[in-house]
Amino acid sequence: MADTPLAQALRTLLGPDRVLDDPAAREAYSRDATPLFKGLPEVIVTPHSTAEVSEVVKFARQSKTPIIARGAGSNLCAATVPLQGGIVLSMMQMKQILEVSRNELLAVVQPGVSTQQLDDAVAKEGLMYVPDPGSKTVSTIGGNVATSAGGLRGLKYGTTKNYILALEAVLGTGEIIRTGGRLVKDVAGYDITRLLIGSEGTLAIFTEITTVLSPRPKASKYGVAYFNNLADASVAVDSIVASGILPATLEFLDNTCIKAVEDFAHLGLDKDAGALLLFGDDGSAESVAKAVTEMADISASARGVRAVTLAPDVAAAEALLYARRCSLPALARLGSMSILEDISVPRPQMSKAADAIERIGEKYSLLIGTFGHAGDGNLHPTIVINKDDADEVARAEKSLADIFNLALDLGGTITGEHGVGSAKLPYLRQKLGDVSLALHRNIKSVFDPDGILNPGRVGS
Amino acid sequence: MNEDRPLGKFTQSKLDRCISCGYCLPACPTYQLTGEEQSSPRGRITLMRALQDGRLPFADAGAQEQASFCLGCRACEPVCPAGVEYGVLLEEWRDITWRGRKRPLIIKALFQMVNAPWRVNLMSALSPIARNRRASTDVHLALGCFERRLFPKVSKAVARLAPEVSIDRSQGCCGALHAHNGDLEGGNELAKQLGEKLPGTILSTAGGCAAHLSSVLGKDRVQEFSQWWEQSLSPIMKNGKPIRVGLQDSCHLRNGMGVFKEPRKILQQLGEYVEVPNAQGCCGAAGSYSLLRSRDSKRVIAPKVAAIKALELDFLVSVNPGCTRQLKSALRKARMKTKVVHIAELIALAP
Repeated sequence: MADTPLAQALRTLLGPDRVLDDPAAREAYSRDATPLFKGLPEVIVTPHSTAEVSEVVKFARQSKTPIIARGAGSNLCAATVPLQGGIVLSMMQMKQILEVSRNELLAVVQPGVSTQQLDDAVAKEGLMYVPDPGSKTVSTIGGNVATSAGGLRGLKYGTTKNYILALEAVLGTGEIIRTGGRLVKDVAGYDITRLLIGSEGTLAIFTEITTVLSPRPKASKYGVAYFNNLADASVAVDSIVASGILPATLEFLDNTCIKAVEDFAHLGLDKDAGALLLFGDDGSAESVAKAVTEMADISASARGVRAVTLAPDVAAAEALLYARRCSLPALARLGSMSILEDISVPRPQMSKAADAIERIGEKYSLLIGTFGHAGDGNLHPTIVINKDDADEVARAEKSLADIFNLALDLGGTITGEHGVGSAKLPYLRQKLGDVSLALHRNIKSVFDPDGILNPGRVGS
Repeated sequence: MNEDRPLGKFTQSKLDRCISCGYCLPACPTYQLTGEEQSSPRGRITLMRALQDGRLPFADAGAQEQASFCLGCRACEPVCPAGVEYGVLLEEWRDITWRGRKRPLIIKALFQMVNAPWRVNLMSALSPIARNRRASTDVHLALGCFERRLFPKVSKAVARLAPEVSIDRSQGCCGALHAHNGDLEGGNELAKQLGEKLPGTILSTAGGCAAHLSSVLGKDRVQEFSQWWEQSLSPIMKNGKPIRVGLQDSCHLRNGMGVFKEPRKILQQLGEYVEVPNAQGCCGAAGSYSLLRSRDSKRVIAPKVAAIKALELDFLVSVNPGCTRQLKSALRKARMKTKVVHIAELIALAP
């Protein structure tokens, strides 16, 4: 196949080994982990340095070619699907851990380092990279920052945005900016670091990231409580937090999830329960034992409780955590397509949200399983459908609108941790309002005057 | 040919399984080499879907390259939360693209060498393998075709260690070679023929053959040697100390049959067991891969050789002849003293 002028120019610019444009490669980069979204890039470019990223951006600016920065492509909001063609900028060859500083409790990494690799590397120093998105074995730090990825420890530890000290990034002009520093305190100027976190590649492309590290907890312990329904489980969660415990783990599964997980993984879960609450904590052995015992006691005397047990050993704890982690794949096996949503509501509204999601499922005759992070009000209603049933697909799309409206009515948001991408873009105005959306546009145009960075997404 | 798989196509329900989460990426050796999506399991499934829907022709050079570049190690399967049978999809892919004249010459030649039992026997005629015998129990040793030619000591070790096992040298090939290289029907047929030739339990010393046989004949008909071995063992001593021994997993044994604890349990009895870093990762032999794509095969094993060297092992144990060949050659080139042996050979050295 003859080179396109775009591929030819980029090969001249960076060398032939940095550029892919054969049909198979373009096909492979036409999607990420989000179902239903697909778009062929014209070319895939793999930079090896900040200077190369800058060169590509300057070049693309001349021809107003879209650039979609991409890490591992594990996002669930179609943030990296090249719907407008252009250049996919794969950051996977910028994968060095540049520094781990034990006394400063920080790490400096390139964006293509995977979350797991970073956590493994700092574990050798007795440290921990705290954010733990569900896809941490595959996701990259660059992608985590671009989507401000959450995870299973949100209540106690926060999310990615709480763990980034400094960024080096390339703006839409090709200029290189450094934000923040190796500083816990720094109030000189606007907090550009925080602005770039979660900007989904629309404002700048990260080339170096400085993260906060924590001492690794010495111990962890887990338990499980079964309730008659999600609402009862939510009330128990409120009581736990109100009692003064700040646990690392508070996760729940509804009955649909429990059944799917049990049928898939055979962990001995109570399939008749309406809700499963997984609770746990990390820290020193004594504090962990105390917190977990208290959570068990509070759950045992809560409304609608069926049973409470503590995991006696690591294997039992692993089984419980696995039950939570395999919720999505277990649900996914029930149909040919699953749409995973990501609303977040103020925690006291969680029981209302859970009830309402159940009614939405009934209204549209859809199978919806809900699991999520009970500690921080982040729910993942998952709609399981047959992708060849056009009517069911249409009903699923309608139900999504209901679910987003529900979240907003309860003072919540359309996405807690996955991102807006293309998947949630139609609902963004409703969440932000016109004034904020206009501000987003203005901000975008300052960082990226020609609108080439991930065009069509947040603030475009 | 099953109903769900029309001629020249993939089994649709198997393609549908993949939810494109990408959890397979870090487990894939070829993705580790390139960092490119199209050489990952998820990327390859995206390609298969494009081929299935006609968006890409099966003849597309980039797609063909990926069908060939894949080691077929199936390391993506245990880490897949959605239970995608990637190994089956790859077999189907090669079954479609490596047909007739498109089949690589080396594969054609290998097929020729083992297509009939007499050819296998001819190939190993001068190899000092175990002798024919009819034992009391209903356990028959599968001799492997290239294993009997290259590593005759393995069957001899089994013969000595397990008198209850019957041996029949007139057996043919199990068909794993065919199934992995674009002849699914031939692969199934040969496995069934071997199943008839060796009634009862088939005992295999090759992880790859065992996994293929068990996928065709059923799990209860097939046992890999380390899975079957039950006797407790005493340590092998060297210079007054127990030997230092490590293991390289067989990909299909581990990822296809879920057997990986068993050989370790044996080795822990035989000496000081040292877990080789990334022991579960493919050594690059990958059946015919080391012949078809020798350069890539060497790129895959390079980091492994360095890691093994640092361990200063007396023995590195393999449970599959392809791996044995690959490791022996790589360790020899690195001028290492570590001996590569099959697990049965090492057991035979136990006091």
